[in-house]
Amino acid sequence: MKVSFFETGRYVAPPDMPREWPVPAGAYHPEIGARAYQGMVERGRFVEELGFDWISLSEHHYSPRILTPSPVVSAAYLAAQTSKIKISLLGPIVPTSNPIRVAEELAMLDTMAPGRFVFGLLRGTTNEYLSYDLNPIEARERTDEGMELILKAWTEPQPFGWQGRYFQYRTVSIWPRPQDDPSASVYALGTSAEAGEFAARHHVGLGLSYGTFELMGKATQHYRERCAHYGWEPGPDSIIYRANMILGETDDKAEEMLANRSKQAPFPIGGRLRDALLAADVTRNVAGEKRPANVGGVLPISFCGGPDRVIEQLRRCREEMGAGVVDLSLADPGTGDVEGMMRSLELFGTKVLPRIRDI
Amino acid sequence: MEFREDFVEADGFRIRYWEAGGGPVLVHLHGAGGPRLSRAHDLLRRQFRVIAFEMPGFGQSAENTRSRSMPELADTMVKAADALGLDRFDLMGTSFGGRTALCLASQHPERVSALVLESPAAIRPEGARPPAGPPEDMARRLYGHPERMPPLPAPDPAVVAKQEGLVNRLRGPGRDPELERRMRELETPTLVVFGTLDRIIPPAMGRHYKELMPNCHLVFVYDAGHAIGAERPEAFVDLLSDFLERHEAFVINRTDTVIHP
Repeated sequence: MKVSFFETGRYVAPPDMPREWPVPAGAYHPEIGARAYQGMVERGRFVEELGFDWISLSEHHYSPRILTPSPVVSAAYLAAQTSKIKISLLGPIVPTSNPIRVAEELAMLDTMAPGRFVFGLLRGTTNEYLSYDLNPIEARERTDEGMELILKAWTEPQPFGWQGRYFQYRTVSIWPRPQDDPSASVYALGTSAEAGEFAARHHVGLGLSYGTFELMGKATQHYRERCAHYGWEPGPDSIIYRANMILGETDDKAEEMLANRSKQAPFPIGGRLRDALLAADVTRNVAGEKRPANVGGVLPISFCGGPDRVIEQLRRCREEMGAGVVDLSLADPGTGDVEGMMRSLELFGTKVLPRIRDI
Repeated sequence: MEFREDFVEADGFRIRYWEAGGGPVLVHLHGAGGPRLSRAHDLLRRQFRVIAFEMPGFGQSAENTRSRSMPELADTMVKAADALGLDRFDLMGTSFGGRTALCLASQHPERVSALVLESPAAIRPEGARPPAGPPEDMARRLYGHPERMPPLPAPDPAVVAKQEGLVNRLRGPGRDPELERRMRELETPTLVVFGTLDRIIPPAMGRHYKELMPNCHLVFVYDAGHAIGAERPEAFVDLLSDFLERHEAFVINRTDTVIHP
């Protein structure tokens, strides 16, 4: 099993900072922001030393709790400051992006540090549709079309035009291009039947997040069935599972940490706006089974315990959903206890990581 | 659909055609399955005088044992255009008809203002075959999303057998050095269109046209299969009419994006 650390750009906020998303930009402190990005590099080097395989980044806007609105910029910075750890962008929010620009920027990264990047393409959390003014009803189809266009831009050798539903270009011919066959390092991210279908049809991996092993197992089962339909079998690295872990020196310590968890949602949205977003974002599903979107909710904990128990849980994760890469947060995004997270990381690197390679 | 059916005598054949609309003349040559008017034709007739031929040996026409090669069939179709008094026209060829259209344009470049090749079958990978079989199988190969399309009519076995023989005789090799030599010399503005879900001719074949032809534009229609005009008619006709109006300049965006002037 491979292990990735989910780096969120830890902005250590003063206790009186507003919580509701979008967080007022006037509450931002430049020094704390600069410190957050210095910390990003320190943590990148730290997990590289510990032997983590990847460090992952995401795209979120208008909030200090995941302070990486441009994963491409974060990735370029981290790659330059580390030496061998892979950097996974999980990922650019495709439906709010210019897909050609995404294709160009990811190809630039891949050219600057060949072999060091993993690219996930995703639809994005519901609140992000407000960031760049996207109609939620169009999000699914824009994602599918955008992903298809990105892959085409990476692989088509002649200038071409694109007559899409949501995107139209008359001349596309990107430079630079990715170093290798992009399918080896690309993932479609999401639990939906559509994401599984896209990943299977294009022979790329699938990335899932936060759901229970049982629920995510349905999504990976669907993905595997569609891969079989298209005549191939995904390998262990083809499935990424992003999740929260609470790791203590003992099970009791971990339970205590769980009980004391502040339970903060990364992007709190309440009241009528939350209801309206839930009513607007109606195409979410797990392997075709309709599910409500997570709007403003607290993220669940998938792994909790001392090293032995967590290893057993990782083994179950591998068996029940087939994930060969786990992408872990060892503290909720936005919590201020960076030192505590660093202790958990060290514990993971020394007591867990060496014992899960054969899973 | 307001298409008028008629016949024209040309090159010893009695050739059926459908005509509608006004404006610049757009001649259409169909695919290996024979003529099939789609929603795209209906949209095109609003901007063009559309003339869709039934090539000799296809559809309801008599068996064609005379045409020995695609260049010969192309000459026959020029004579049909002559007989209708058409001088210079835009030419669209679909799949098998894309090869006919390429031959026609290269043999008579002065007659063709611009060329549109819809899912052309002039360059094919090893083993590519025209679709055949029951309507459900045909639909799965013709369309990216057969579930969204009306069912295809059951084919008449006699028509199928008649067309298959002709297609096998005329369609030529997957890579034809003589045709490709002519393509290199053809300066006619050409638009090659492939659906991203084409299951008959891989869309990757499009790049070869672009490599060979000096004035060629390649466009992918997202989420369409082989029968682009039937499956995504608005997207196809919007593209095609813009290209036929502006040729090379169609790459320049003139869409107004002002939200609140």
